[in-house]
Parts: sequence; structure tokens; C-alpha cells
Amino acid sequence: MIGFDVVGFLISWLTLFGIYAILSLTLNLESGTAGITNFGKVVFYGVGAYISATLTTYLILMLNGVDVSETPPYDIRGVILLSELGKKNPLLNIGLLVSSLVIAFVMSGALGYLLTYPILRVGPAFVGFTLLSSGELLRIFLQHYEPVGASKGLMAIPTPFEWVADSRVREAAYLGLVLGLLALTYVVTHKLVNSPLGRTLRALRDDEIAALCLGKHVPRIKATVLFIGSGFAGIAGVLLSYYLTSVNPNMFVPAVTFNVWAMIILGGFGNLRGSLLGAAVITFVDRILTFVTPQLGITIISPDYLRWVVVGLLIVVVLLVNPRGILPEKPIKTPALDVMWEELRGESK
Amino acid sequence: MSVILEVRDVAKYFGGVKALDGVSLSVPEKGLIGLIGPNGSGKTTLFNVITGFYVPDKGSVLFRESNDLVRIDGLNPNEVFKKGIVRTFQIPRLFNSLTVLENLLVTPLGQRGENPLRALFTNSWSTQERELAKKAIELLKTFNMLHYANSKISELSAAHIKMLETIRGLMTPAKLYLLDEPAAGVDYAMAKELFTYVRKLRDEHNLTFFIIEHRLEILMEYVDYVYVLHNGKLLSEGKPQEVISDPKVVEAYIGV
Repeated sequence: MIGFDVVGFLISWLTLFGIYAILSLTLNLESGTAGITNFGKVVFYGVGAYISATLTTYLILMLNGVDVSETPPYDIRGVILLSELGKKNPLLNIGLLVSSLVIAFVMSGALGYLLTYPILRVGPAFVGFTLLSSGELLRIFLQHYEPVGASKGLMAIPTPFEWVADSRVREAAYLGLVLGLLALTYVVTHKLVNSPLGRTLRALRDDEIAALCLGKHVPRIKATVLFIGSGFAGIAGVLLSYYLTSVNPNMFVPAVTFNVWAMIILGGFGNLRGSLLGAAVITFVDRILTFVTPQLGITIISPDYLRWVVVGLLIVVVLLVNPRGILPEKPIKTPALDVMWEELRGESK
Repeated sequence: MSVILEVRDVAKYFGGVKALDGVSLSVPEKGLIGLIGPNGSGKTTLFNVITGFYVPDKGSVLFRESNDLVRIDGLNPNEVFKKGIVRTFQIPRLFNSLTVLENLLVTPLGQRGENPLRALFTNSWSTQERELAKKAIELLKTFNMLHYANSKISELSAAHIKMLETIRGLMTPAKLYLLDEPAAGVDYAMAKELFTYVRKLRDEHNLTFFIIEHRLEILMEYVDYVYVLHNGKLLSEGKPQEVISDPKVVEAYIGV
């Protein structure tokens, strides 16, 4: 193929994979392991993205002495100023990244807890619909809220590595950051699943009434899981906003949530490695179509539509072969297993 | 003997249906007490009131806490469990994606690894986890179920499922067990074995059992005392022999 930029493709695919895998790992913890129907993953993703976009653009202008009431970041003059001022101070860029990550985690997490705690008692379908409609409410609110650019959104968000001159190095450094945070998410979700908490979450998923009768405070446990999952979704949102260097309300439609659901259904419900695999496959399809379609000169069908066709087909085929996804759920690993095997081996001797 | 559970004039209405209509009864400590009655007489509703699934429309439920009887009606099911009451269900409710051992390990309260922050550091909970696993293994040994430790619930027989649902309570310091038709769907010989185990548990662990049973004849030789419910009211009570020959009970059962 002529002019296919392999390195560029890999960087772009892996960055998108890293961001989506953070979403799919935590959605799998919430929905696969704990059985919470989270149809509002996009809410917390969007909140994270808007927190970093707002914080970064406003603070960079303000700290450079720009009067944001006259020249707000969503104004064309603000956008021009941002692209000039964005690379002046590396320390500021990094500082903004770190504070965005922390604030997005806490705010998205708190929102996840508060949105769900009151409704978790009324059953899974209501939780799903409440979160789904919260996402739409947030999107419509953002569309009309002038300080974050209303329907235009915020643009020219200076990235954490804006000061690096070479664009390839800049992209690679950013990929490193994304993969680092993905590794952190994996370690956290893996530890949580393979612990007494993970066992209790599976128990709640299997039979909520029985768990209640064994003294488990079901709504609180579920809301806590949503705090953790939504906090990480906020982190994924921060990463997205710096990756695309712009945010607008139409990026956060319900289809984003269902794309993540497709990843965990494909990869395997309740299996964390499955979530990584699902995220890798679906983002790969997405990227390859975006890269390849223009070169093939296909104009009658846009890659956007083709993506949904391919993903739908993949899910149908995988579920026909294995209804539990590519990688089925594995038993929980805790030290109790060692104790059991010691005993069972002793028994058979 | 002192009373561990007292139900005082409890009523529960569902629209016009009086599922419980002024029921008073008490369960003595270390008792093995039966609760019988025809279908729809309110047995399970009474258990649901005691365990916090329903708030009674009238009356109160009291449970022994050290030397006092305290009200437990109006508490949530998880709070009732923390007081020391374990219940089983007519159709057993186990956790089907967990193994037999894990079903036991889910039960204990105050597990360090259930705290999300501590769960991240295996060292902070692994000692406790090992101790709980040893306790669970001992229980499985006592009930001849050790070879099922790593089995899924779907691999167990109906009787073993009922047994597991009961013994998971032994992972906690619970004192009172409410068993809802433990012998339903189990053949006569197995049902007898089950009740023999229950009696053994009562004697060896100083537990109290309050058991719903549909068929009085199975329960007869095991229980100390029987309450009979009919249409939401207490119809009769007494030693099993007395109750079975009570004309009112015979009438309710045969429906003359």
C-alpha cells in the first residue's frame, strides 16, 4: 500500500486502545463482576474530558495574564492565543495534567457514587436507564453552557507534551503516559477482582437477596464500585481530551457507552484480559477503517458506518461460537485456594 | 430457658389480604421449634417480617442481645443478619458462579479484603483469608462435603445445596437459624438425615432453630415445640404429639 504510515498507525491505534481499555476494564468490574447495568459510562468519561479541557485552557490563559472574560478560550482569539502560549512552560503543562487527572478521578467518582446510590435499590433496569438519561442530560447541558464553548466545545487544548518540538516524539511520549495509566487501571481492577471484595461482588451479581441476607450492604458496595469505575472513566476522559486536543458535546453520545459494552461482551464478561482484548479488537477495526478507507478510494460508505457493521458482525460470530465471549470468567484467586489445595492433596494421600 | 426471639401481635396486610393477622409467639434459646401450616397460611411472610424484608403493619419483633430483648422490626435484612439471625429459603439461594468453598467464604462479616483500599494490598488481608479458609474447610469436613470444596453449585445434589445454605451461617457467630422448608424437594430418608444434622448442630454449637415445614410428620420426632399457622392466625401450639391430635389442626389440614 502506498503511503501507509505504520508507526503513525500504531501510535494512534495504541493510544486509542489505551483510553478505551481503561473504560472497558472498569466497565467489566462494574457490570461483568458486580452486575451493575452501567449504561452511562459516557457520563463519567465526558465529565473527565471536560474537566481537563476547561482547567487546562482557562488556567493557561489566566496564568499568562489573559483576561478570560474578554478573550475566553472558546473564542477564536482565545484559540489562537492557546496555540501560542501552550508550549511556553513545560512545568505548567505537566502540572495541569496531574491536577486534571486527580480532579477528574475524584469528581467523576463522586458523581458515580451520588448518581447511583439512591437508585441502586430499585433494580438493574432502572440503574441502566437513569445512567443512560444522565448522559443525555449532561450532553444537552454542555451544548448550551457557554463557558465551555456550548455546541462548539473547547479547542486547541495544549497537551502535556506540547513543548516537545518533534511531533512523533510528542505522540510517543503521550502513548507512554496512556499505557502507564492503563497498566495502573489493570493492576487495580485485577487486585479488586481477586480479593474478598471481588468474591462479594460476584455474589451480589448472582443473588442480591441472598447477599442482603448475609449482611452485605448491597447499595453501598455497588455505589463504591461505581466510584472506582467512574473515577477511572474520568481519567480516560482526561486522556481523550489531550489526545484529540478538543472536546465537544457530540463526542459524548450514548453510542460511546455501547461501544465499550461491545468490547466487554466480545472479550468476555467478567474477564479482565478479555476486556483488553475486546478493546484492542474494536479500536483496531476503528483505526484501520479510518486509515485504509480513504486510500482505497471508497466513498459510497463512510468508515463510521462500516465500523458498526464490522463490530456487530464480530459480536454475533463470537457469541455464536462462545456465548461467554472470547475469554470466559476465571475463578477468583485468593490465598484461600492454596489452603484448599493443601487440604485436598493431603486428603487424597 | 430464656427467650431468644419474640413475635408480638404481628400483622401484615397486602391490600385486603391479611397474610398475618395478630401473631404472637416466642422461640426459646437452643430450641428446635417448628412452624407448620397449610399453603398460604403466612409462614414465609412471618419469616420475611422477622428478617426485615417486610415491615409489619402492626406489632413488633424482638431479639435477644446479651441480656435484653431489642426490637428488630424495621431493620434492613443486612442489619438483621448482623444481629445474629440467618435464614434459608424455600428455593435455596446460593451463589451459582462461586464454588462451594467461596460460598462459605462470602459469608463472614468484617472481612478486611472487602474494603476496596485494603483489597489492593493482598498482605493486609491474606492472613485473615487463610484463617477463614481453614474454618470453611473444617466445616466441609464435618459435613462430609470436603471433596465438593472446589465444585460449582450446579454439581451438588438438592440435599447438599440445602445443607450448604444452612452451614454457611456457621461461618458467622449467628445464633438463630430460620429454615424455610429445608426438606422440600428432598426425599424422606434424606430429609431425616438433614434434620439429624440440624439437631446435631443445635446440640454441638448451642444454636436455635426455627423451622418451617409443610409436612408435620417429618418434623415430628425432631422438634421440641410446634406452632401452627392458619389464615394468618395462630391456630394451635404445643408439643408435636399434642398438636397432631388437635382437632382444629386436623380440620385445617384436611379442610373439612
